Amino acid sequence: MTAATQKRIAPRQIYLLLACIAPIGKIVYLPSHLAHYAQNDLLFPAVAQLLVQSLAVFLTLLLAKRGMSFCQLLEGVFGKIAARIFVGIFGLFLLYASLLPLLEQQLFVQSEFYDTLPSLFAFGPFFVFCAYLCSKPLSSFGRTWDILAPLAAAAFVGVMLLSVGSADFGALAPAGAAGGRGFLRATASATSWFFDAALLIPLLGKFEYKKGMAWKGTLCYLGGGAAVLFFLATFYGIFGPLAETQLFGFSKTSKYFSGITVLGRIDYVFIYALALAMAFYVALPLQGAIECGMQIAGEKKYLRTFLSVAVNALLFALLVILEYRLKQALGVISDMLFWIFPIFFLLVPALSLLIRRRRREV
Amino acid sequence: MKTLSGDLKKDADALKKLLPAEDILTFEFSSEKGLPFIAVFADPITDKELLGEQVIRPLKHFEGKPTADMVGAQITSPEMKKEKSLQKLAAEVLSGNPVILWEGMDEGVVAGTKKVFTRAIAEPSTDVAVKGPREGFIEDVKTNTSLIRRRFKTGELRIEMLEVGRRSKTFVALCYLEGTAIKETVEDVKKKIGEIDIDIVPDSSYLTHFLASRPYSLVKQVGTTEKPDIFCAKLAEGRVGLIVDGSPIALTVPYLLVEDFQSSEDYFVPPYRATFTRLLRLFALVVAIYLPAFYIAGQLFKLQLFPVKLLLTIAGSIRDIPFSPSLEMLLVLLVLEVLNEASIRMPKYVGMALSVVGALVLGETAVSAGFVSTPAIIIIAFSGIGLYAVPNLIEQTSVVRLAMLLVAGSVGTYGIILLTAFMLLYLVTTENFGTPLLAPFSPIVGKDLRDSVLKYNLGSLDTRPKTLKSPNRRRLK
Amino acid sequence: MKFKRFVHTIPMKLYILLAAVILFAFFSNDFGLVDIQKTAIILAAAIDRTEEGFSLTAQIAVPKGSDRTTGGTSSVEIQSEGQTVSDCLTRIYTKTGWVPKLVFCNLILIGEEAAKEKVFDSLDYFLRNEYMPDSCLLAVSEGKAGEMLSSQSAIDDASSLAITKLFSDAAQKSGKVMPNSLKDFTMGMFGVSESGYLPFVRSTPQQGEQSAEGGGSGGGGGGSGGSSSGEEPQQIYSADSTALFSKDKMVALLPIEQTFALSLLKGKVFAGTFNAKEEGKPVTLSVIENGGGVKLDSKNGLKAKLSVDLLVRLCCRSTAVPSEENIGDTVPAKTLEDAKGVVEGYLTDLWDTCKQSGCDLFSLKQSLYRSSLKKYAKWKDNFLPSLSFETDVKVRTRK
Repeated sequence: MTAATQKRIAPRQIYLLLACIAPIGKIVYLPSHLAHYAQNDLLFPAVAQLLVQSLAVFLTLLLAKRGMSFCQLLEGVFGKIAARIFVGIFGLFLLYASLLPLLEQQLFVQSEFYDTLPSLFAFGPFFVFCAYLCSKPLSSFGRTWDILAPLAAAAFVGVMLLSVGSADFGALAPAGAAGGRGFLRATASATSWFFDAALLIPLLGKFEYKKGMAWKGTLCYLGGGAAVLFFLATFYGIFGPLAETQLFGFSKTSKYFSGITVLGRIDYVFIYALALAMAFYVALPLQGAIECGMQIAGEKKYLRTFLSVAVNALLFALLVILEYRLKQALGVISDMLFWIFPIFFLLVPALSLLIRRRRREV
Repeated sequence: MKTLSGDLKKDADALKKLLPAEDILTFEFSSEKGLPFIAVFADPITDKELLGEQVIRPLKHFEGKPTADMVGAQITSPEMKKEKSLQKLAAEVLSGNPVILWEGMDEGVVAGTKKVFTRAIAEPSTDVAVKGPREGFIEDVKTNTSLIRRRFKTGELRIEMLEVGRRSKTFVALCYLEGTAIKETVEDVKKKIGEIDIDIVPDSSYLTHFLASRPYSLVKQVGTTEKPDIFCAKLAEGRVGLIVDGSPIALTVPYLLVEDFQSSEDYFVPPYRATFTRLLRLFALVVAIYLPAFYIAGQLFKLQLFPVKLLLTIAGSIRDIPFSPSLEMLLVLLVLEVLNEASIRMPKYVGMALSVVGALVLGETAVSAGFVSTPAIIIIAFSGIGLYAVPNLIEQTSVVRLAMLLVAGSVGTYGIILLTAFMLLYLVTTENFGTPLLAPFSPIVGKDLRDSVLKYNLGSLDTRPKTLKSPNRRRLK
Repeated sequence: MKFKRFVHTIPMKLYILLAAVILFAFFSNDFGLVDIQKTAIILAAAIDRTEEGFSLTAQIAVPKGSDRTTGGTSSVEIQSEGQTVSDCLTRIYTKTGWVPKLVFCNLILIGEEAAKEKVFDSLDYFLRNEYMPDSCLLAVSEGKAGEMLSSQSAIDDASSLAITKLFSDAAQKSGKVMPNSLKDFTMGMFGVSESGYLPFVRSTPQQGEQSAEGGGSGGGGGGSGGSSSGEEPQQIYSADSTALFSKDKMVALLPIEQTFALSLLKGKVFAGTFNAKEEGKPVTLSVIENGGGVKLDSKNGLKAKLSVDLLVRLCCRSTAVPSEENIGDTVPAKTLEDAKGVVEGYLTDLWDTCKQSGCDLFSLKQSLYRSSLKKYAKWKDNFLPSLSFETDVKVRTRK
């Protein structure tokens, strides 16, 4: 046996994903985005999204009780063909969902890894890495989370330790200044960043449900969410009215630490560690999409390789086309097409649970 | 399969035909009663003194019925066996054991009087310990197994002799503790060794290729040690060991990457010190791999990686250098590798001179001549030293360092991050004999972390590593 | 089957391609890369208003050769003019061939004229630039900022380094300087208070004989572009005045006493000194502990309370009378009373300056906004005129 192809994901690894990896995607572009719409009230839309997403995570983990993959789950009710169509649609959604993390990752790379705007070539290797990642079965990735989760958690703590002293938490007052409209707009546009439950769906059947896993998973997600909220508060405490101009929040907050003037940007150690974990996080929806493809076509190594390469090549081409319109593209996804997300991360697991129940009653 | 006919002359000729080499000699002699014998032996590897003392002299006085049992009883060599097959007899001759044939018998006697060429047991130069045992393996498999046996006075220690190599017929001692090692692993190793179809096995490193799950990988997948104490400790943890005749390096499987960050000395010093040194090794290795890469990426793509004063110093020192920062660093790295390679291969007395030439003359004059800058030499020197903090991984880490440097010089810091991610993914998905390479970190095995990069007190290490799935978990009662 | 075989070879082909691209990039080093050798590391920038728009003077670090063993920083000042600050930087690039990088810019000096009208016109570029560290220090210079930055410092290799030293932590503790960063200044100006402060830097020629060990030595202080070392007198810089800003422009200048009062209110002073009277003669008191703050009471109207709590020791008498009671550093009660009066006077003057200039220096409007949106809505249009104040000064000494 070479790779860990036959391995199943341990519940611990799911918890680590929810607690430590999932929050990373929320501290890059989202803080400034929330500040743009909700200003000092940026915590409220984030809390609302976290609560909804926690519910979705809970429902998805409940689905895992049945020990079946998403495709198998649907097959029992709708038959093979319909199930494959559903899974295909879900895979397309994941492909779409992967765009936003990809876009923000590319903007982040341009800003934080280079002193001058680099050529697109610089971001190209990410897709090679991503293609390699996607060519591995999803179930073998539990172990990466074992390594990345403590790394990300330690890096996050490091960033926060350097940041929190510069924050004026009073800047978060007064509550409600943005008004109901600001809250709603911020909540709606933040939806595109909260789809973690959807990432769990391709994992169904690849981990064994243990007693209380739904609760534990949800609590882990909420724990990670609490860290995100703390970061958002610190972020706004540091930047106040400038918050909306500070893209890539987590790489900005720690630079005001007094020791940095002497030692140089030591915070880059933490920022780069988070960037490492983020590279895996950004690829997660893509992996999920490929996994859906595999559930439709059946596990074939050559097909997985082909799909991985093709999908990543397509996405790279898309980013090349969008070169100078990355922020606009990000805006379209977050501000106009956000409604697509809840259909898949909330409705899909909820309906899957309901359908099953109805069938039993019959 | 051809067997002996009982016709002494014919049998001796047949054997000689199988072994036409000039150093295969025959010695004809008769007992006082007139029974003719022929001893066939390989001249360079047979101890002729022992042959005379333990075989020929007793047979001169042989009386009685010339059966194999009677002849065998007459020989005083402690190792003796009977054999009918001509091929097997020929193999014994080639191993250094003389074959005794006599008239009228279709069975020969093999006497264990081979000449053993061994060097003295000494401390291995690659694994020096200030505290703890100093013995090291040598090239003789029997001596090596005796070093193991001396440390395990239990019948649970199993040493099975296997033979590998169509031509070399190299002995490989498979060692494990019955009831502690996993049966499946033992069987798996036996199977893999059995499947090897190669002409010669000059060293144990040949076997690693066949034992690895990813044979073409850069990643090390089989544990190596030159010290019997480490070898025994690994057997005691539930691993399976292999000692190859002719090689002082023993192999152990399953291998965990963390093993190479541990040293035997860690177990003979206080745990705090051991933890500190292990962390230091890890730190040194990480710095050695990443420092040149980040230095380049900083100069080319992200100046902020340096504090401003350091940046100005660097900018000043590279101002007149004719190469780009990345090429300069590559050049210095290559010079270091060449010096390293040359100083290892050179005779010792030249080696010293070479170090002086390399370190002082080349380094100093290259800087003075403006070929390379001082910071580049400092960075590479530190990196070079850092790699040797974990000497067992040097073959892998030096390549990784070079790859990091190339990526840093072309893609920058992001390239370093991506290559790290790629490596991480590769390591995480690598396993051998059912054991993940990165355990106990991935997958996390809580209790095993006590003897990983951390080192707990001996009292806390009451069980064998869970990662190795030994059926006999408890170690300390 | 063919397709399968083809797909299986894709990863290897991709890796080979990637390796080839990486090697090509590594050895060619030519893909729009701006490395250290093509970069102008800007240490400080000075902005002045001109008829055309702006004049930018950039102090650029000049690396020393590898044979140099002495410390210090060489620099050169390059000036250019343009309609915007970005325009000026582009012209620097065309003039020198170096790509100007702001990642190490640690000081922005704004000329007095530029500060007096729409100060953010000058700062906009720096705020928008992703690579500009917004933690950099910001100050207003007396007269032309470009001239000040191009002047030769008497105490350091580069003028920017000498000016930056004025804003060190140790200097802040003296209470005679109130530094501010680009980020904090912008936050104050963009906040509901729309007010802020910046240190006001003056330069004076060094009196007397020029020191042989002065700036020109040990690192080639000053540079070619603009400053002619040797002829121009070396300068000493001071920043004990503080410029107040309100609604995008400089509105007042705090003298040293009021700067000290501001420092006391921020509670930052340690070992700073001020003078009081003892029996009509001046004595200097040193601050050992400093508590301070400004609170807004909005229960009955708007009232600000300026509190300063000082623990002082006697530092120096102008006329020392040798007696047993004068040996220690305890301050007599009467002197403490006088000191309290002095500090109250400073605070009152500070308050008056702020109120007259319309600068909400203590972000009281922001405090009101944070505490009650309702009250904020009520007072926001007439905030400062409606504001009364009281002082609460305690001056203690160690027994």
